[in-house]
Amino acid sequence: MGCRSCEIECAVEHSKEKTLFSAVLQSPPPMKRLFVESTDDIRMPIICRHCEDAPCLRACISGCLYLDENRFVRRKKERCIGCWTCMMACPFGVITRDKEKHIAVKCDRCHKLDVPACVNACPTGALVLADIDDMTKEKRQRLILAEAKGGA
Amino acid sequence: MMHYVIIGGSIAGISAAKEIRRVEAGAKITVVSKEKTKPYYRPMIPFLIEKDEIDITFVDDPAKEFGIKNIFDKVACIDVSLKEVRFPSGTKLGYDKLLIATGSGPIIPDIPGLVGDDVFPLRTMQNALEIKSAAKGKGSAVVMGGGFVGTKAAIALKHLGLKVTIIEKMEQMLPQRVDRRGSGIISDAMKAAGIEIIVNDSISEIIRDSGAVKSVRLSSGGSREADMVIIAVGAKPNVEVFKDSGIKFNNGILITEFLQTNMPDIYAAGDVVEYVDLVTGLPAVSALWTNAEEMGRFAGNNMTGGNIKYSGFLSVMNATDIFNIPVISAGVIEPEGKGYEIFVRDNIDSYRKLVFKGESLVGAVFIGDVPNAGIYANLIKNRIPLGSLKEKAIKGVLVYIDFVKNAPVQTLMS
Repeated sequence: MGCRSCEIECAVEHSKEKTLFSAVLQSPPPMKRLFVESTDDIRMPIICRHCEDAPCLRACISGCLYLDENRFVRRKKERCIGCWTCMMACPFGVITRDKEKHIAVKCDRCHKLDVPACVNACPTGALVLADIDDMTKEKRQRLILAEAKGGA
Repeated sequence: MMHYVIIGGSIAGISAAKEIRRVEAGAKITVVSKEKTKPYYRPMIPFLIEKDEIDITFVDDPAKEFGIKNIFDKVACIDVSLKEVRFPSGTKLGYDKLLIATGSGPIIPDIPGLVGDDVFPLRTMQNALEIKSAAKGKGSAVVMGGGFVGTKAAIALKHLGLKVTIIEKMEQMLPQRVDRRGSGIISDAMKAAGIEIIVNDSISEIIRDSGAVKSVRLSSGGSREADMVIIAVGAKPNVEVFKDSGIKFNNGILITEFLQTNMPDIYAAGDVVEYVDLVTGLPAVSALWTNAEEMGRFAGNNMTGGNIKYSGFLSVMNATDIFNIPVISAGVIEPEGKGYEIFVRDNIDSYRKLVFKGESLVGAVFIGDVPNAGIYANLIKNRIPLGSLKEKAIKGVLVYIDFVKNAPVQTLMS
């Protein structure tokens, strides 16, 4: 429905004190790492896919982006030089620019949390955390077909 | 056991080695490199000039990570009939499959006074460290060439406190990398930071006094004082050692869509090859890190018996930052000829140009603000016709879900 709760919770989780009140007052404000996008009739959060064969990671020219032990695509922040090559490489447009710190910013899948902040915040169940083994291809296809019918 | 030999230890070679290891756990992989270092991020070398504590080497050593044997030596020649690589000492190294990933080297123009101290190319970590040490105590530098390497070298030397002048032969800075307007924005920022930029000119002579560089004479008749000169007029594929091997090359080594050369079991990838530019359809040499990484991966896969076609690269696919101005450019940026449509949005703090041919986006320049640039770059690279989304692209409101929404259900099902 485009309530943007996920965006808010994402920014709060990546703020210094991790509370809504302190996050609102933080200067510069904390940055969200996912984006609720809309067209005329649908709204959808666009999140880093943590691609298995991630174009951003392959393009990174400074050794900043890496695949962690959980296969999340993360940053070694101190190595980012702000060359924006990852932004050029990402076909989803989910890497942004921290103008203050002059580094690239992306989803870290809340690696310290079991359930990422965006999923936790979603009041409608549009965002769920599912294991790829449980979310079979057949299941995904059923969901797409249901969505396609609903939209038509 | 198959023995894979890779000549060249930079990104094309390493990404090939990595791919070979991924496919064949037991393969024997040897990487021959003339640079005696752990692999490093070559685009980062200008930072070495100005920063003291910066590590530009790979975080993990690929030799350990992927079980690669390193040979640090130059290659003298290869014998394609005996399937051997020969070294200057006379030692030989046999291969089953060979990858040529020797990259490119600096073009050194023939200018009186060029040979000697205080004149440096900037292609290797060693070059950067030499420039850094030479810059100590020097007052002024002239950078010959206003491409990305020249620009980055000039900024680094400026940060060190030198008086810096860039001499560019073409009519604009970053020719072929950004369009004229974009170049103007970048030049203004560099001039504001105190870097002098001279275009439409070149160095006709380097003047020395007792061996040390004192000044440069310009083709236009003027001169500039200089305690050191950086040569950054471009790169050319390193093909010299293959001259008598029978391997075909033009500007770079010619390859098939499987990155094979004309010789059996010999592949080539990275800056050393000449291949098709995806949007112009013309032969080109890439000289870009991300393209070299991709070519290496494709070559590595095909060397292990894979069968993946490499459709080509974009010779323009650049991202950088110049004095806190982000710059991204891709594809055809200054089109010549008919059939192109150009849309420009020129604001105080940002500039955006899109170039279309029919329904397809073929080029883009983003300066100052670069959100979603990756969506546009991927549209260009993958030559995706935009159809009804063209209007959204022109307005600058194109987002990823536009493609999800417009994708045929079959595509989403795959």
